[in-house]
Order: sequence, then C-alpha cells, then structure tokens
Amino acid sequence: MTPYDERTWGADMDLFLQRLFDALTNGSTYALIAVAMVLIFKATTLINFAQGEQAMLGAFIVLQLWKWGIPMWGAVVIGMVFSGILAACLERTFIRKFDPADHLPLVIITLGLFLVINAVAAIIWRFDPLSFPQLFPSGRAVTIGNARLSWYSIFAFGSCLLVLFVLQTLLTKTKIGLAFRAVSSNLESSRLCGIKIGQTLQFGWALAAAAGTLGASIYAANPVLQIEPTIMLRALIFSITAAALGGLDSLWGALIGGLTIGFVQSVVVQYIPFIPNEMTLAAAVVVLLIVLTFRPSGFLGTKTVERV
Amino acid sequence: MTDALLKVQELTATYGQIEVLHGINFEVRPQEIVVILGANGAGKTTALRALSGMVQTTGSANFNGSEITNLEPDAIVRKGVAHVPQGRGTFPELSVEENLKVGAFIRSDNEIKTDMESCYETYPVLYERRMQSAGSLSGGEQQMLAVSRALMSKPILLLLDEPSLGLAPQIVEGLFERFVTMNQELGTTMLIVEQNAQIALAMADRGYVLESGEIAVEGEASLLVNDDAIRRAYLGG
Amino acid sequence: MAPKITLIRGTPQYRNYRTLMWVSLVLFFLLVAFAYVDVGSIAIGSNKYNLSLIRLNKAIAYSVAILGLQVVVGYTGQIALGQSFFFGTGAYISAWLVADYSWPFLLTLVIVIPSCFLIGMILGLPALRIRGLYLALLTLGLAALFPTIVKLDSLYKYTGGAGGKLTTNKITGSQYKFAPPSWLPLDEIAQALQKIPLLGGYFGDGPLSNREESRMWKFILFSLVASLCFWLISNLIKSKPGRAMRAVRDNETSAAVSGVNLAMTKTISFGIASALGGIGGMIYVAEVGIASPDDFSSLVAIYLIVGLVVGGVGTLSGAVIGGLVYALIPDWASSTQSISFVPQRWLQGPTGSLILGLLLIVLTLFMPGGISTAAKKVKNRFVTIQSRANEE
Repeated sequence: MTPYDERTWGADMDLFLQRLFDALTNGSTYALIAVAMVLIFKATTLINFAQGEQAMLGAFIVLQLWKWGIPMWGAVVIGMVFSGILAACLERTFIRKFDPADHLPLVIITLGLFLVINAVAAIIWRFDPLSFPQLFPSGRAVTIGNARLSWYSIFAFGSCLLVLFVLQTLLTKTKIGLAFRAVSSNLESSRLCGIKIGQTLQFGWALAAAAGTLGASIYAANPVLQIEPTIMLRALIFSITAAALGGLDSLWGALIGGLTIGFVQSVVVQYIPFIPNEMTLAAAVVVLLIVLTFRPSGFLGTKTVERV
Repeated sequence: MTDALLKVQELTATYGQIEVLHGINFEVRPQEIVVILGANGAGKTTALRALSGMVQTTGSANFNGSEITNLEPDAIVRKGVAHVPQGRGTFPELSVEENLKVGAFIRSDNEIKTDMESCYETYPVLYERRMQSAGSLSGGEQQMLAVSRALMSKPILLLLDEPSLGLAPQIVEGLFERFVTMNQELGTTMLIVEQNAQIALAMADRGYVLESGEIAVEGEASLLVNDDAIRRAYLGG
Repeated sequence: MAPKITLIRGTPQYRNYRTLMWVSLVLFFLLVAFAYVDVGSIAIGSNKYNLSLIRLNKAIAYSVAILGLQVVVGYTGQIALGQSFFFGTGAYISAWLVADYSWPFLLTLVIVIPSCFLIGMILGLPALRIRGLYLALLTLGLAALFPTIVKLDSLYKYTGGAGGKLTTNKITGSQYKFAPPSWLPLDEIAQALQKIPLLGGYFGDGPLSNREESRMWKFILFSLVASLCFWLISNLIKSKPGRAMRAVRDNETSAAVSGVNLAMTKTISFGIASALGGIGGMIYVAEVGIASPDDFSSLVAIYLIVGLVVGGVGTLSGAVIGGLVYALIPDWASSTQSISFVPQRWLQGPTGSLILGLLLIVLTLFMPGGISTAAKKVKNRFVTIQSRANEE
C-alpha cells in the first residue's frame, strides 16, 4: 500500500483545475454557437447547418473591419449587426419559401448554404491563417496552485453569460421577444393572433447570427489560435452536440451543454494520448449519438421530441 | 333584413389535391350567434380555417364590407376576426398572462391591461393561475384561456371551433352560458362550430348543418331543434 | 414545335421505342468508353477539362452510392445523411480482402454486401425511434466518425491508419489485374471505330495498350455491376416492399394503419441503402487503388447528398446524374482557371464546393425534382406514354 502522497494529490488537483479552466475557454465558444442554433431551432424546429459558417464569416468581417482601422470592439458590434442583417436576408430569400414542417428541403438548403458560405469566405480571404485582434487583456488572472486561469477564459465565459442575459431579457420583456416565444410554442395559434411569422423568424435568425459571430470572434481572439475559413467546421460538430446535450430548445441548456462539451474535450485530450484532435471530435460525436438515441430532449429541453 | 356581417358565397376549400368544401353559402348577421353543425369530417373545422386564412380557398367571404378570402391570417385578425381553434390552441410554454398578451398582439392602445382584468373577472381561475404555464391548466381552464385570448384582440366576429370537445358537461354548460353573456354584453358576433348540437342550438340564433362539404340544412335554431332529421342525426332521436 | 408522339404501352410501336432507347444508350456508352479510354480533354477557352474512364469509374461508384440514398431518402423518406460511412466501409473491406488475402475485387462483394447490409440495419435502429432532423444529425455524426474509426491504432493492421489501405497485394506486391477475357474483341472494335471518317481520330491510334484494355474492362465490369444494381432496385420499387417504402415516405400513420410494418420496412431500407453504399465503395477503391480515411469524411456524405438532390430525389436516373455531377463538377471547377470577365483570383478557391452548394440551393428552390425530373418534363413535350389507349 503506497502511503498517501501529498504532492501527487496536489498535482492532480492542479491538473483537474487546469482542465476545468480550459473547458471554460472552448466551452464558451461552443455555447455561443449552440445558443445560436437553439434560437433557430426553437422558432423553426430546424437545425441550421450553416450556423458555424455564418459565424465564421461574421468573424472574418470583424477582422476586415478592424484591419480597415475600426477599433476592435466597434468592429465586433458592427460585425454582429452585419451578420444579423445578412441572416435576415438569408431567411427571407431561402428559408421562408418552405413549409417549416417539411424538414428535408430545409436541411438541404442549409447544407447548401454551408458549402457556399465556406467557399465564399475561402475565396475572399484564402486559407492563410490571419491574426485576430485580441479582444481581451492577455495574461493570467488567477493562479491556483499550478492551474492558470487566463483573463481570456474569464472574459469568454463572461461574454457568454452576458449574451444569455441579454437574450433572456429580449425574449421575456419585449413584444417581439414574446412573439418569438409564441411562434416557438404554437405556430398556428401565433398566426391566429396576428403575429407576422416571417418577420418574427427573421428576427430569430438575425439574433442567432449575431450570437454566432460573437462566438466565433471570441474563439478567434484566443491568443493561441489564428483565424482561417475552416475554424468553424469542427466547432460546428461540437456546437451541435452541445445544443443537443443541453436540449435543442433550451438556451440555458446550450450554455450547460457547451461547457460540458468543453470539459469533455479537455478531459479527453488529457486521458487519451493518441491522435488528440481526432479523438475529441469522436468523443463529441459519440456523446451526440448517445443523447439523440436515448434522451433527445437533453438536459433542459422539453420532451416533445420527434418520436415515431 | 339586416345586412350580413359575414357573407360567404360559393366557398370552396382544398387541402392539397382534396377539395373539402364544395361551394358553401352562409351568412352571419351582426350580434348573432350562429352555429354550424355536422359530423366528423363534414368540413366544419375547414370552414372556420378558410375564414381565418389558414386554408387555400376560392369563392367569396365578405366580412364587414371587405373581402377576406385568401388574405394573410394576420391581416384577417386585424380586420376584427378572432379564431379559437380546435383543441384550444393555447401557448403551452407561455404563462396564462403571456397568453393573453399575445392575444392582444395587434393592439397598441392602453386599454390592454383593463381588458385583461375583465378577463380575470369573467374567469377568476385564470387570475389564480395567471403566472402558471398554460400547458399546466385543465381542459376547461384552457378553453377559458383560449376564448379570453381571442377576446383580447377586441374582435367583431369570434370563431369558435368545437369549444365543448373533451370537456365535462357541467363545464361546457358554464362555458356556453358565458358565451351568451359575452354576446349580450360585448355585442360580439359568434360563429360556433359544434358537434354537441343540443347545447349549441339551445343558445344560438340560427344554425347550418354541414354534410360532406355542403350545406344540407339551414334555419332558425329553435326550428332546427325540432327538425326530425336533425333530431335523429345529432340529437339522438 | 416538334410533333407530339403518343405511345401506348404494350403496342409494337412502344416496344420499338424502348428498344431504340436502350440500343442508343448502349451505343453511346460504348462510344464514350472508347473515346475516353485514355485521358481525354475538352478545351474551352484556355481551360482544359479532363474526361476519362478514370473519372467515369468514379462516377459509377458514386452513382451506386447515391442509388442507395435514393432507396432510403428518396423512396422511404428517411433523412439519412451518412452514406459516406458505408461507402468507406465497402472500400476498406474490399481493399483489405484484395491486399491481404488476394481476393479478386468482385468476389469481395460477397462479404461487402452482407456486412454493410447488417451494419446499416443496426445503425438504422435509432431511426425507428427518431425522425426528421434528429435522424439527420445522427447520421451525419456517424459519417463524421468514420475517418476516426479507421484511424484507430487497434485497427491499424486492417486499415493502414492515416496513410490508408493500399490495394496492392501484400504477397505479390503487385496491383490486382483487370484483364479482359480474350474473346472480347476490344482491339477490333477500337480499330473499327478509328476508321470512322472525321470522328475516327477521337478513338485513338492503333490497337489498345494493356493499360487501356484493363481500364476498358474495369469500366465494362463496373457498369455491369451498377446496371445490375439499378435493375434490382427498379424491380424493388415496383414490388410490394417497394410500395411499402413509399407508403412510409408519404405518410407513416396511414402506412401503419394499412398494415405496413414500419420497423421492418425502415430497417430493410437502411440495410439496402448501406449495401449499395458498400458496393459503390468497392468500385471506388478498385479504381483508385487505395482507401484513405479522408476520402470518406462527412464532407463526402454532403457531396453525395448534393448528387442526390441535383440528380433528383426519388428517381433512378437521378442517381446516375448525381454520380456524374459529383465526379465531374468539382474537378472541372478547379480546372477552370480563367473565364474572361471573372478575376482569376476568384477561380482559385474551392470553386467546386461553391458550385455544388449553389446547385443545391438553386435546385431546391426552383427545380426540387432535380435534373432528372426537369429532363422528364422536356421529354414529355415530345413523347408521352400512356398505359392504355384512350385512358383519361
């Protein structure tokens, strides 16, 4: 029997804490993209496969604005507005023409948008990695033992919470927010109450795109990452899993789901030594498969699921 | 003969390729309570959905001086038509109070609060449960909520689709008594679709019977109650 | 307007029409095969567009895979997006058997078909409980998982890890030889075609080389396999299980009420689709010579869907068109280096996926039936086929 070794225990705790902190960083991004997907899902029961690419495009627009001399956070805000407008146009032009109950054409359209937006971004900005402005002060904020929590992680998580609170307020305290929740709850009755469904959905798409752009910008602002058109491809799978895990129609669920996936990612990286990148993706997909098969409503979602 | 508030002529309605209503004619006069009876599948629900713009139609429906056929649903609501759909159509995730707010969606005046209060007066149980989610209410309570929700838009014409469906008889009685009161106090014209012919005819002014998408019988409610064919078909002999 | 011809099924004219159509198809097919047995290219402007049997073989592989999608998505209405999983499984199993056990390619189908069918049925079990979007997510997730699975260390000796599995025989060190049987007069046909005035030059010079003969034979074999698949599926559709599938697609509740066993129909449909995916994979790896993980990523699954939609969901010819689209468009898009009014910079990005994405969107909006439905409409302007004379 080995005697209890204080040093090992301390080191393990540090490692665990560090993993927890790492989880915050990525988890916040996944949470923001997941929030975007949940917004659209709530209103339309549609998964927007192009969400990640819209977010990536938004982040590139932010980058371009910043390069043109607009101050950092101003660029982010303008980028968010711009991607919101773009999303509203996309909804009007492509999505509105279809019956929301017929999933197949809508799935295909969003897949098409996925391909097109990705290609357009790659054509405009190429695949060269570019440096994104640092949105948050760099360096460590807190050190517990050997575990380092950077300002970046704190601010990323903070932005997440902020977005959720803003959304919460928008949805519960404004008229259009009420309309959005009404449409999510009962489409036909919403029509019968005089709500203009198209405009309400557009609003949802715009909000989702703005949230996504913020998420992608935060992701890209990570001091160790650089931005290029494929950054959101992997994030999409993680975000979809996060959204499903939290419950596809729950905003707070998206936050929890995102953080959970972030945690899974940092834990899996630590414990499975080979091909780290691949395994995190696989782990996320496995989680997704388990959730969809056994508990499609996730942690916080409502239980009305498409069951046969 | 007073001018009809709602005059429907040669109304047909189709779901995809299937024609469900084959050119029906009926009318509703101001402040009347008119009932449409018929068996399942006769097209009663479709008739109401045609009026509120939810189904593809041809023909004419003239409401309060303007054509409402094939207008968008939200435009029809703004003209003063409120539809309480079959199965209540409440917003289950929203609270009772929020349901009422949605009902008043097209309004921007400052009497919304007062109107909500009168709804609560009419149905005190709604006031008790005003913060609860609509999905947690009983069938009867949801029906009260659905009707109140429709009234929040201050409609001229109220369309009610099978309000008695799935409710216990005493509740149905209470519900229909309220309808008569509403009609008398607020002057709301009502077009009610029902399978429960007995209670419907008891409080209506006039009635129509719909069979396989066509009007089979029409007349004063008191006369219809005594009609042999109706008795046999809908009132159990 | 050209005069409209009306043909009635069962009459001699109808039979002649059908014979004429099939014969011209086979002739066209042979002409294409002989013309492109070596890498040929069409030059438009200053761009060279390659067309060769290599590409066409890939197109055949994709067509069979897309045929699988037709069965599960087009005819049974299940949004199953993970065909690349089975495409890859078929490819890897074939590669493994050919390389490690010296099996001939076609024989591997004996293992590929049942395995893919079974795996497809098992993976289709969740489809019994979930529908629509959730199923789409699930299947896409599976497709995303495939490259990771084949790269696992524990499977290395079967899959060759990240480097992929070559089909070179481990014992002999050489590639599997596709040699046409000696009784097939390929040389003679080639030389006969070369004698055609004016067009003869397109068919090459002199007898076929060994490499060309092998390519030709592969093309013929794969086409035969594919045709067999198409024929079987066309019979399936007209049969009772086929009608059951379509009933499930149109309205599950009605189907269940009319006695269709939903679970069985869906599971079998998944099985058949996966088996077809596997067959496609075998053809693919037989042509390409190596099974590598990234050739079976979720992006491939998406491209197969593009092929499905562009070709036309729910049609057999749509699968053929889709396969061609997938095999040719991305390649031709990247071969387009200059168009007069477009800045060259724009043409250097992933134009292939741009065009495929645009096709997907435009077609879903304006031609939801895909190219095959549009083509059918055009054909109907000239020829209509009636079941019986004077039938209203």
